Amino acid sequence: MQIDRTKRPLTESEIKFNIPAVEISELNNGLKIFFSEKNDLPIIRINLLVNSGSRFDPEKYKGLSNLLTMCIDEGAGNLNALQLADEFEMLGAQFSVASDCDISLVSLQVLSENFIPALKLFKSVITEPHLDKNDYQREKRKVIVRLNQVKIEPDYIADISFERFLFGKECPYSYPVLGVEKDIENILPQNVRDYYQQRFTPKNSSLIVVGNIESKSLNKILQDEFAGWGNVSTLNQPQLNLRNLQRKVLIVNKPDSVQTEIRSGHLSSKRSDSDFFQKQIINLVLGGQFSSRLNLNLREKHGYTYGINSSFSYFKEAGYFAVSTSVGIDNTASALKEIFSEIKKIKEGLTADEISFAKSSLTRRFPSNFETYRQISGNISNSIIHNLSDNYLETYVQKINSVNLEDVNKIAADSINPEELITVLVGDSKKLLEQIREQEFGETIVLEFDDVFSN
Amino acid sequence: MNLLNIPYIRYSLQNGLEVILYDIKNVPLVAFNIWFKVGSANEARGKTGLAHLFEHMMFQGSKNIPKEMHFKYIQEAGGTLNASTNFDRTNFFEKVPSNELELPLWLESDRMGFFLDSLDQVKLDNQKSVVLNERLERYDNQPYGLAWEKLVSNLYPYKHPYNWPTIGFYNDIKSYTIEDVRSFFQKYYSPANSTIVIAGNIDVNKTKLLIEKYFGDIRNNGTQPEILADDPHLAENKMILFEDNVNLERIYFAWHSPKAFSEDDSTMDILADILTGSKNARLTRKLIYELEIAQDVNAMQFSGKYGGHFMIVATAKPGNSLDEIKNIIFDEISLLTEKNISTQELEKSKNVIASNFIYSLQNIDTIADLMNLYNFYLGEPNSFNYDLKRYTSTNEENIRQTAQKYLLKNFVELKIVPRSSNAN
Repeated sequence: MQIDRTKRPLTESEIKFNIPAVEISELNNGLKIFFSEKNDLPIIRINLLVNSGSRFDPEKYKGLSNLLTMCIDEGAGNLNALQLADEFEMLGAQFSVASDCDISLVSLQVLSENFIPALKLFKSVITEPHLDKNDYQREKRKVIVRLNQVKIEPDYIADISFERFLFGKECPYSYPVLGVEKDIENILPQNVRDYYQQRFTPKNSSLIVVGNIESKSLNKILQDEFAGWGNVSTLNQPQLNLRNLQRKVLIVNKPDSVQTEIRSGHLSSKRSDSDFFQKQIINLVLGGQFSSRLNLNLREKHGYTYGINSSFSYFKEAGYFAVSTSVGIDNTASALKEIFSEIKKIKEGLTADEISFAKSSLTRRFPSNFETYRQISGNISNSIIHNLSDNYLETYVQKINSVNLEDVNKIAADSINPEELITVLVGDSKKLLEQIREQEFGETIVLEFDDVFSN
Repeated sequence: MNLLNIPYIRYSLQNGLEVILYDIKNVPLVAFNIWFKVGSANEARGKTGLAHLFEHMMFQGSKNIPKEMHFKYIQEAGGTLNASTNFDRTNFFEKVPSNELELPLWLESDRMGFFLDSLDQVKLDNQKSVVLNERLERYDNQPYGLAWEKLVSNLYPYKHPYNWPTIGFYNDIKSYTIEDVRSFFQKYYSPANSTIVIAGNIDVNKTKLLIEKYFGDIRNNGTQPEILADDPHLAENKMILFEDNVNLERIYFAWHSPKAFSEDDSTMDILADILTGSKNARLTRKLIYELEIAQDVNAMQFSGKYGGHFMIVATAKPGNSLDEIKNIIFDEISLLTEKNISTQELEKSKNVIASNFIYSLQNIDTIADLMNLYNFYLGEPNSFNYDLKRYTSTNEENIRQTAQKYLLKNFVELKIVPRSSNAN
């Protein structure tokens, strides 16, 4: 074959791809079920999403949701914590429980031949956890040590301090999922039990199943196992109290650092808002992948960092825009200058080439979001959490394709607000203050990490 | 199990490039995965980290591909890509929609054949700076981030190729010259020193023609002689105390253990699982559930071509001493060497491992990388069943003997503790 290495090879004809179908049903107790059959491997994955996360943690009990998820699989039904773990492993099943600010997630991956016994264990954790006092105390001590441990991890400090200042202490999203030490000390076993009763209810949950099983037999099994789950409760919806801010720089002093962790961003619209597709394109061009403006500038041109990225993050009830990186201390001010300048520039608009690159990347990558059982259940979960329309996945490619230059640039102008940038720097405050000019990036305040949650 | 039988075609081009093809049509994707048989073990003293630098330099463009465009082309096509380096090898991989198979072939062949044509000082200086930042961010500025470096440099003798960390030492990274890069490339980035796996939705005959088209004319620079490395052993226990920016004290133990895929390698994996693989694993139960003196504990078998080591790592809860934890760890090790584990414990481990083999088949790029791994260490890409059998065929007695053979020998002990100036 003749070869001309100077030209990119042509793309062959379009690929064929079908989005997995999802069946939706509901049990009498209100538990919604989302099922997608997938038969290429003998695997079944099942996720229970519960509307329970740190956002719902009551005043003075910050950390309660997370503590509940740590305790919930420490014994259930007639098995104690260790027996329960043994049983899952005997079945070769991967079982986990986790919690973020909006959702608690109980998940299971198992070979289809072991599905029924593993599902029985899974159900037991959800519907009849012990929440025993001794287990509770052990898990509580674990969290407190963990809090002690993370407060020296620069990236963790940067992430949670940034969200603290961005959302402000009146907003429930300003608290870390792990909670706050003095609150955790206050939590009693009864608080955990009450909280479980309130939140782990069928009406407050969705069950997602992806795998190698027929719909009919799955429905029967789920009916048998979950129809008797009867917890009911009324739920609170915490106030968000969001407010926009003026530029500010908060230096969290960490004198032993050899680098500065940087976060800079501002509040933005929610995931379910209609500017989502435009924002995806903007972000891809600004800092959402390797050949983004930010990475080419700060890494590939200046060598300030190992990597830099930007994102629009979406919680259930709020969203924000942020740039995140880590740089050598001496380069902090120079790096910030470049970051601010790129943010300002993207507000002025994207080029037609950039937009066509982003559209191509997003639409052509779409089929690879459905390769694994986890990816498919994750896509379904995402639609549930953010109340996306039933045809969201079917129309995704078309929606991206229909966005034009004008749309994107209008949204860029509207959704990027350099005057509102809250910047967190975690590093040696003395060396940082030497470089950062007064008011250059906003009013500058220095504080110690221990003071972040006492302000 | 049939699922683990992965049929493939393997052949070599005239220039020595080895090719492995696996045709599977269940996803509209294709994975390209190349292993260059060069890792940090091939580096010279004073120039450590050079193999890892290539993980960066290879994305700086080549004769027909401008800097940064490798990423851009793949991402524009909806693909994903990355690379990684360890002691033994460097891999590069892309996953693209199956109608774009030719794209990674074009990009990968251009840098294999024509990387040096576009190499310059500006690119090198830039990536040295990026790698120095990587080192600061991921190692120097991370709590416990220097543990691996401390361990390997004490466990493996000065002359052993596993004595230094893959990222390289700070001053070594600073010292690289264009000539270092050029000669390293000529030595190791030769078609005959690499293997390509292409897995996914492909037409085998067409793929063969395309590979010949893109890689056929690349000059063979030959292969390098095997590294000569004596099997490492420790003449005595080594105790190291290291002060770092940490809040909690942590203790590490490392013993020399079998090399990758050699006899007993898989049994060491099972031992790690028995000790810390689950809540009810022996050390986890004891240290975390019963005594509550540790915040976490992990055991793992690391194994490569020229050596292996078994590690146990535990973090003390505040107010508890590392020595107390050490005593428990050694009690449990003695028990493992004296008495067979229960049939139930072994069955549990085997079930977890066997299921994980099936779970790992979900990603076409994981399969491609595993085929390259098996080909590299075993000379047989379709070793999934063989690999699983290493685990399922062991028994309680064998596990006890293996513990005896490796865990009663000398070890390196590393304690990482808060700086004394910060101590309460």
